[in-house]
Amino acid sequence: MNIQTKPPLTLAEQALVDGFAERLKDLPGSAAVSDLRDRLIGELKDHGLPTRRIESWHYTDFRVLLKSVPEGGNDAVRLIEPLVPEAIRLVAGADAGDLPAGLKVSDYADALRDGRVTTQMEPRGADDAIGRISGAFVSCGLGLDLAAGTALEHPVELQVAHGGGHTHQRFPVRIGANAAATVIERHTNRGSDPAFVTSVTDLVVGNDANLTWIIVQTQGGADTHLSQINVTLEENARLTLYVVNAGGKLVREEIHVVAKGEGADLQLRGVNLLDGDSHTDVTLTLGHDVPNTTSTETFRNVVFDRARGVFQGQIRVAQDAQKTDARMASNTLLLSDDGEFSTKPELEIFADDVQCAHGATVADIDDVHLFYLMSRGIPEPQARGLLVKAFVNEIVEELEDEPLVEALHDVIETWLERHG
Amino acid sequence: MPAVQETIERVREIDVDQYKYGFETIIETDKAPKGLNEDIIRFISAKKDEPEWMLDWRLAAYRRWLTLEEPTWARVDYPKIDFNDIYYYAAPKKTPGPKTLDEVDPELLRTYEKLGIPLGEQEILAGVEQRKVAVDAVFDSVSVVTTFKEELKKAGVIFMSISEAIREHPDLVRKYLGTVVPTTDNYYATLNSAVFTDGSFVFVPKGVRCPMELSTYFRINEKNTGQFERTLIICEEGAYVSYLEGCTAPQRDENQLHAAVVELVALDDAEIKYSTVQNWYPGDKNGKGGIYNFVTKRGDCRGARSKISWTQVETGSAITWKYPSCILRGDDSRGEFYSIAVSNGYQQVDSGTKMLHLGKNTSSRIISKGISAGHSSNTYRGQVSAHRKASNARNFTQCDSLLIGNACGAHTVPYIEAKNSTAQFEHEATTSKISEDQLFYCMQRGIPEEEAVALIVNGFVREVIQELPMEFAVEAQKLINISLEGSVG
Amino acid sequence: MLEIRNLHARIADTDTEIIRGLDLTVKAGEVAAIMGPNGSGKSTLSYILAGREDYEVTEGDILYNGESILEMDVAERAASGIFLAFQYPVEIPGVATMQFLKVALNEQRKARGEGELSTPDFIRKVREAAGELKIDPDMLKRPVNVGFSGGEKKRAEILQMALLEPKLCVLDETDSGLDIDALRIVADGVNALRSPDRAMVVITHYQRLLEHIVPDTVHVLYRGQVVKSGDKSIALELEENGYADIIDAAA
Repeated sequence: MNIQTKPPLTLAEQALVDGFAERLKDLPGSAAVSDLRDRLIGELKDHGLPTRRIESWHYTDFRVLLKSVPEGGNDAVRLIEPLVPEAIRLVAGADAGDLPAGLKVSDYADALRDGRVTTQMEPRGADDAIGRISGAFVSCGLGLDLAAGTALEHPVELQVAHGGGHTHQRFPVRIGANAAATVIERHTNRGSDPAFVTSVTDLVVGNDANLTWIIVQTQGGADTHLSQINVTLEENARLTLYVVNAGGKLVREEIHVVAKGEGADLQLRGVNLLDGDSHTDVTLTLGHDVPNTTSTETFRNVVFDRARGVFQGQIRVAQDAQKTDARMASNTLLLSDDGEFSTKPELEIFADDVQCAHGATVADIDDVHLFYLMSRGIPEPQARGLLVKAFVNEIVEELEDEPLVEALHDVIETWLERHG
Repeated sequence: MPAVQETIERVREIDVDQYKYGFETIIETDKAPKGLNEDIIRFISAKKDEPEWMLDWRLAAYRRWLTLEEPTWARVDYPKIDFNDIYYYAAPKKTPGPKTLDEVDPELLRTYEKLGIPLGEQEILAGVEQRKVAVDAVFDSVSVVTTFKEELKKAGVIFMSISEAIREHPDLVRKYLGTVVPTTDNYYATLNSAVFTDGSFVFVPKGVRCPMELSTYFRINEKNTGQFERTLIICEEGAYVSYLEGCTAPQRDENQLHAAVVELVALDDAEIKYSTVQNWYPGDKNGKGGIYNFVTKRGDCRGARSKISWTQVETGSAITWKYPSCILRGDDSRGEFYSIAVSNGYQQVDSGTKMLHLGKNTSSRIISKGISAGHSSNTYRGQVSAHRKASNARNFTQCDSLLIGNACGAHTVPYIEAKNSTAQFEHEATTSKISEDQLFYCMQRGIPEEEAVALIVNGFVREVIQELPMEFAVEAQKLINISLEGSVG
Repeated sequence: MLEIRNLHARIADTDTEIIRGLDLTVKAGEVAAIMGPNGSGKSTLSYILAGREDYEVTEGDILYNGESILEMDVAERAASGIFLAFQYPVEIPGVATMQFLKVALNEQRKARGEGELSTPDFIRKVREAAGELKIDPDMLKRPVNVGFSGGEKKRAEILQMALLEPKLCVLDETDSGLDIDALRIVADGVNALRSPDRAMVVITHYQRLLEHIVPDTVHVLYRGQVVKSGDKSIALELEENGYADIIDAAA
């Protein structure tokens, strides 16, 4: 190992450390949790934020990109219009109201107070900056527990609608065996101040359970959004995970999935809509640890303006994970000469009887398609708009849930209108 | 399938000792003392009778190297190299420099003959069907002979050892050396710049199409000796050359270091085709011994419409760390990388390419076929990037990995970076084993399993094999089959 | 030539039995049609004859020229003269069809203790056979089955059959995916290979193929057993009434 010379803290790093000192007295937690928080902020102080020299942050030099951290925070409860009308809205700190049978909701602040969450709060590794910041700052969140065999009729919507400043939440979720549900996770800034948000979800999908999980991120143009979803799939578990990024200034969304039970299946779809001078990084690690698991991951990225996008996707197949079938694709429409997109799809295979593939493309709008539409009398700007929309909507439509598809179309449409 | 299982068992037992180039040549050598310091560098420079500027260049690189750290990002694992436990200069005694064939030690000629590389021009001319190939034979630290020099000279082509070129064409060497791979480039390239001993120099002047294939055969013979070759190829406007490189080494229990630098420069409309069949000693079946192959190869498409094409067949070495790359600086320039990397036993390969699109309308193509067997690890690592001003950059990448047996690993790590909206990048990668359907189909036609596997593997790598010059293609195909022996008959 | 006795077979490593006590005898010179509804075990039978290890024989025997072939591997059976024309011929990228044919032919000759065919002899042989099947010689330069149309693939199968000169030909749904012209070419190719010392097992779902390759015997397969045997009139009967009657009678 290299001998690390300790670099001086950047302004943002200093602001994180100072912000922690100020907030500490208000953060809930047992003595063990407080010790852990101290340790995590200490590690941040010692090592600084990750730079591009850390392989998992190769395209997101966090130390350089994080220019500032806002002061204060706003824990006021905000309820927003749900994405689909019949959804059960859940907000940390608010009364959950009447819940369907089989669904239990707990306050994560209580879990912090009684201290049983310290193991879960441990970072994933030396490069886990999100886990470290979240662990230090997390103040609230929601625990969900869906009892075995329960099928929820309506989606559950976890709302994190804040007004800027610090927001740090955590969501431990367990979907019981044979249960079925749709969960929507929303992140949005409804105030006018820049925000600094971390959100960590720890999700376990039980045997034979069937879960659809939709993440919609529409933060403000000055916000930093750091999120992580850690998923464990048990035997024959099926997870359909959608990730829509349509906001934020500096966004890092980490998705870590481990298929631990035979027969597990992951269907992951992502839409990344990037504009302004934002930097959005979606980093995926997917471990096929046991035989006979399957996954398909498709990402569609659209880049306008001076935006920079990153997709890193690593598929790992363990030595005894025979018959794994894993396919990953990342397709990018780079629509501006000032924009950038970097892709690092990675295969790490130790089993021989597998089918694994990844594909990546970066291109502008297809001239032939454009010409075809224009030859039918559609003016160029509209034709371009249609093609961009088709490019991302294609994967949204794979969701066989009419109201959800429409709702996501609306999110995309609203964003695209900025570039009409 | 029990039959496949049996094959896998056999691969596990595979004896890499069937390496057929493992013999040693007993010859008296002239060696510098072991270890690395400024005096050793002065010694090498003096042995080669180099001008002052060359020594200064080396010393500057050495001082730089002392400040660098060994890179750790590749997926290769080896004990720390003691750079002071290596001989940096070893030369056969009777040949202080390349001379005519008559003056070369007959023992050396026999060595190359045993390797299947006839150096006698007469012998080559006698072969009717064989095309003429000029050879520069590098033995440990020196070039022992370069054939067809006179004939090439008539065409205006300079082909000689780099040591000779430094003396005879100092201006040309000085103009281009280190302009593609600067002395500061990376740990091994910087080390090479300090201690490089020999290698080939090729200069093809404006408008000349080199009349024959040029090739260099590298042979490491001495114990504990590092080979630091430096090759520089320049094609002026409209020139063309096809260059082949082959490498072998005796079987030894200790690891030996090979850290080469190859620089290619293509001016306007020039084309360079560089082919490698790398068959350094891979180590024995338990992973003991073998060459550490840390190589920096880079081509600079400096001129408009220039083209550089790398083709490599990598079957040898205990560790391969190698990324032949193209800097697509000239408008409309083109880079190609065709690779087959076979790993068996305990070999570790981390290889790939970089295609850096800088000029307008540049294009590149990457075809990589990895085959892992035994306990080996085989990684493709590649970067494709389009600079902000590189309008209409095009890349197509296809990376396929084949796994034979369940104790090996195959990894694919591409970095795809687009900073220009007119860029069109396409990358595809697959990893799988030999399909049971294909195997069954072949066997149903009466082809025994081992033969069927070989046939399917040959089909898998064909796209790359056909990029090689004819003579090499046959040799390469044989080599792949030998490397996988036990799994593919 | 072929005698299958009380054959039971299942998918390897499972309890799924597909062939359940099948008896069938095919004499030299005979063309036997195997018909049956989807899932009756027709294709499985062809794979088991060829020796595919995805299936396990649990009971009974397969005799070929009086000797059991169960212990022989796929290539050995092929060299002994058993040829399977695949329903879905497999693509082998990078391996030129010519090269493939040459390796197959010479390996079979080697296994039988015959000498290798010289390249000119081989090329002449392939050209002749290809001409009769209206196969463009350029097609043979392309990798095995890669980018071939459905009809080209089936014609290539028959070409291989003609070249390898097997004793027992098993044709698995050779008619599937063929238009009427292609069907005729393929059927002509097969008919040309009929001979007194060669047996053919023609597996098909429809009677259509049997208009072109007229069978000596017809056997109806249902749930892994031969439930009815007779002459070609059975095929016509099936065309008229479907499988329902025979199945009812068998049940």
